[in-house]
Amino acid sequence: MTDYFVYTGCTTPVRLPAYEAATMAVLKHLGVNAHHMKDVNCCGAQYIESLNRSAFAAMSGRILAIAERFGKDVIAICGACSGSLKHVKHMLDTEPDLKAEVNEILAEEDLEYTGKVEVKHLLQILRDEVGYDAIRRAIVQPYNGVKLAAHYGCHVTRPAEIVQVDDPEVPRSIDDIIEACGGDAVDYAGKVRCCGGPMLAMDEKVATAIGSEKITNVKAAGAKGIVTACVFCNIQLTQVQFGEGGEPKDRIPVLTLPQFMGAAMGIDEETLGMPLNKISPDVLLEFAHRIESKVIRREQEAKR
Amino acid sequence: MGARTETNKGLEIEHTPSSNFAKEIEAEPGGEGISKCIQCGICTASCAVSSFSDRYRPRQLIQKIIIGKRDEVLQSDLPWLCMTCRLCEERCQEGVSPAEIFQAVRHIATREGHIPEVFKSTAEKALSDGWLLGDAYSDFIEDDRDDLGLDTDLGWDNEFTHRLKKKYFSGGEGD
Repeated sequence: MTDYFVYTGCTTPVRLPAYEAATMAVLKHLGVNAHHMKDVNCCGAQYIESLNRSAFAAMSGRILAIAERFGKDVIAICGACSGSLKHVKHMLDTEPDLKAEVNEILAEEDLEYTGKVEVKHLLQILRDEVGYDAIRRAIVQPYNGVKLAAHYGCHVTRPAEIVQVDDPEVPRSIDDIIEACGGDAVDYAGKVRCCGGPMLAMDEKVATAIGSEKITNVKAAGAKGIVTACVFCNIQLTQVQFGEGGEPKDRIPVLTLPQFMGAAMGIDEETLGMPLNKISPDVLLEFAHRIESKVIRREQEAKR
Repeated sequence: MGARTETNKGLEIEHTPSSNFAKEIEAEPGGEGISKCIQCGICTASCAVSSFSDRYRPRQLIQKIIIGKRDEVLQSDLPWLCMTCRLCEERCQEGVSPAEIFQAVRHIATREGHIPEVFKSTAEKALSDGWLLGDAYSDFIEDDRDDLGLDTDLGWDNEFTHRLKKKYFSGGEGD
């Protein structure tokens, strides 16, 4: 079986460590050999990428070369990182001059990118390595039909011919996993549109308007929560609900995919970092068996 | 792009770009697709930023490149407003990627010293620390990681990025 490094990127370990913890717990539970990666650097997405193409290729290229050195493939859990690593792999595999330039820099650390390393987004591991049947078998506390909205993340699914994760306009993988966990995946307007996260640095107002529209559309479809596959999307779709006029009672929980799955697989909430979520996921978890009995008990007590 | 004359039922229209900027973009990695743009506007129609911004219009920005407005485009922050969500690229039937074209514009602008402050400072952080969130990693977050059973030593490397800074950004402006 393939051995993997999980490349967390810069943001997850600091802004959303629960995503990291839940990823490791769920992968372990499902029998995927996933290891933490150290002595790496930022993948260079957006900021270095926009300034200098060679420097960007070198930053992501070094991460790929380190994985090669250890004979492991890479799992990325952030949309920006998975996009960068896959894009740079594509650049290095198709541009010999660029590859030579990057390898010349890597040689100072005795590293070399040859191209044998594979990069997968977490979604690909869950769908292709683990498989929906194995996920279904691991579910002990299904969500009992709660309506949920999948948000994929632009850099997770586009450009489709390079990242090869899912259909770029009609993606299914998160929806399928929601249903494997007993939820009811709903469609909503603007499903494959951006969360607005990448715009935060340049224009926060526009970024918030884009994210808020998504929340409005998700609610209009009757969803009680959102399931994400990227750290930036998760933070952005949570954060826009705390803006002006955002009443606490109107907020809907935004769960990362492994948190969502882990709860249905019976992994305890502390391990999944649920208490750290800014919007309590209880409204969703109450649909799972474990808490359903509490709900019923509360209703019975109320009747008495 | 030289002068081009189109004859349509005897009516002569001359299109003369004010500079060869489109050719320059075409020669930059990522900019190859610019000559295929037919200005249909599906990029702007698909764009989440355009929905909420009153000034960012990808079709219009590509048009400015085609008609040769080199200084205006390179000195503007508009090419830096693309989120690279690539929905327009997915929908463009001519195979044009505004995201890639605007990356090419950003690379040229960087070489000429036109970088929005937030890009400059964030890139500087990535190169000096090796990662982006060194300043944000507080004791509280360390405690959260500890509670989650995660390693509190994140082990980021910055020696490599220092070498990249020297090699690619020694002018202080990105090239």
